[in-house]
Amino acid sequence: MVSKKVTMRVFGMTCDDCVRTVSDGLKDGGATEIFVSLKDGTASAVVDDSRMKPEDLSKIPVFGEKSHYKAQVRKVE
Amino acid sequence: MILKSEYDLVILGRGAAAFSAAIKASEITAGQASIAMIGFGPLGGTCVNVGCVPSKYLIEAAKVVHNQSHPRYPGIDSIKPAINSGKIMGSLRDAVKEERVNKYENVLKSYGNIDIYEGRARFLDKSTVIVDNNGDSEKLNGYNFIIATGSSTKIPHIEGLEDTGYLTSNTVWDLNNLPGKLAILGGGFIGLEIGQSLERLGTEVTVIKEHDTVAPGIEEEIGAKLMEILKSEGMEFRTGKKVMRVFSRNGKKIIETQSRRGKEEMEVDEILVSSGRIPNVAGLDLEKAGVEYSSKGIFTDETMKTTNPLIYAAGDVVDQRYKLETLAAGEGSIAASNIYAGTEKKVNLQLVPWAVFTEPQFASVGYTESGYNQTGRKSITRTVPLDLVPKARILREEHGIFKMVVDSETEKIVGIHVLSPNAAEFIIEGVYAIRYGLTFRDLIENSHIFPTVAEGIKLTAQSFTRDLSRMSCCME
Ligand SMILES: Cc1cc2nc3c(=O)[nH]c(=O)nc-3n(C[C@H](O)[C@H](O)[C@H](O)COP(=O)(O)OP(=O)(O)OC[C@H]3O[C@@H](n4cnc5c(N)ncnc54)[C@H](O)[C@@H]3O)c2cc1C
Repeated sequence: MVSKKVTMRVFGMTCDDCVRTVSDGLKDGGATEIFVSLKDGTASAVVDDSRMKPEDLSKIPVFGEKSHYKAQVRKVE
Repeated sequence: MILKSEYDLVILGRGAAAFSAAIKASEITAGQASIAMIGFGPLGGTCVNVGCVPSKYLIEAAKVVHNQSHPRYPGIDSIKPAINSGKIMGSLRDAVKEERVNKYENVLKSYGNIDIYEGRARFLDKSTVIVDNNGDSEKLNGYNFIIATGSSTKIPHIEGLEDTGYLTSNTVWDLNNLPGKLAILGGGFIGLEIGQSLERLGTEVTVIKEHDTVAPGIEEEIGAKLMEILKSEGMEFRTGKKVMRVFSRNGKKIIETQSRRGKEEMEVDEILVSSGRIPNVAGLDLEKAGVEYSSKGIFTDETMKTTNPLIYAAGDVVDQRYKLETLAAGEGSIAASNIYAGTEKKVNLQLVPWAVFTEPQFASVGYTESGYNQTGRKSITRTVPLDLVPKARILREEHGIFKMVVDSETEKIVGIHVLSPNAAEFIIEGVYAIRYGLTFRDLIENSHIFPTVAEGIKLTAQSFTRDLSRMSCCME
């Protein structure tokens, strides 16, 4: 297992409820060490790259077609 | 307003592709993507300012004049309406302004996340562009880019052309007095549309072409028919002639041509250069951004991604066979969706309908006969002359053709090409037929409204299996 830190630009968050929804969505998607910033419209999280491609973190259901939130993976370290 | 120098998305261009991309990106991101749109000239780019809108306005105005001077029905006298070209052209410019204000300037006001920059952009590296504007330069950083810089009229290298002066589809709309005699260099669609309009408004129009056909890339018999119709209306075609030199004499413009039969001179009041369009790639420093291109445009895959995965391209600047407003806007939207919605949307050129707004109109979707055969598959085709369509006879506009191309094995429709009144209005039937894999038999099973010109599509489908001359009206 190799942990990768993923930094994302997150669109669509307008309030603390949104931050919670996005954080929960990331957790459900298998991420840990989640930090979401409403002010910057960003999120960072750690994923286990043996379980998921870090780039696919923007494709989890909370950022899916029907969701109000969208994300772009900007950095993987 | 303080403009940011760090953007989620930097769009090079402010035309149809750029606007559509910027708006789609704003919608997907709930207006949170910070977007810069760079360009020069009036907002909206080619289509609204110097393309579709003014050309279609002039075509419709000229049609009114033509219908009055050429009534189609016996018992109606021909009248030669007095033409105030200054007023027509003034109203054309007003119409352009109104469209621009409504569909671009005002629309932009609802998007606070889009900043507009004035100037020309060039890449400094993969994430930076420099905007040059009258000696000032500004650096903008972006994460994603969409290149939507459009295309320009190709100006051929002809001795004396620059000194003598000429019009293009950018400048013809500024005229108030229409030229008495006009030569059009090149017989592409833009030249044919403008040429027929001006000819109907009283200009003597001559198209000078090196090749013997007009309208390259369309079904040969349809191109030939279109040329025949335009000729019968009074446009002159001098084909097989190469323009060697242009110069001024006694206030006139002289065009010297060379053909197999020797040299010829032609004297005109104005020259319209309409010899194709070239993508606006020069000066963008695309190499610095890792974006590959050729003189035909920027290379993209079907998702509009360039050779740099963070940079997309859309519209006329892309290396592709069509240059259309609808395609540009569609591709802008595809690029934005693929960047922000995680989609893999693709453009399918086989499903893109296009039209030439001459009268009659030409409209087309899908493969031509030779194009399909070149794919290694076999086609069967049928061609039906317009005078077999009852509505065309009622309209007394009987010059035209319907052609259908189907796969010889599956009988699925792969191309429909029409030269007829209002062809642009009903070619969409062909788009759905191809998109949903319909056969010509499927089209026959649906009744079409009688009498319509669109019924010609059904008749063409029927002509695969029967002799149209032995059928009564509307039978299936
Ligand atoms: C006379 C005419 C009639 C037409 N009729 C039709 C029609 O009836 N139907 C149809 O579908 N299509 C028609 N077209 C085609 C249609 O107009 C174009 O396909 C469409 O406008 C292309 O849009 P675009 O966004 O790709 O480019 P454009 O609209 O040309 O926009 C390009 C933008 O890029 C900017 N730009 C250029 N270079 C730079 C640079 N270095 N840096 C920054 N910005 C730059 C320009 O300022 C402009 O804002 C017609 C075209 C013409 C000329």
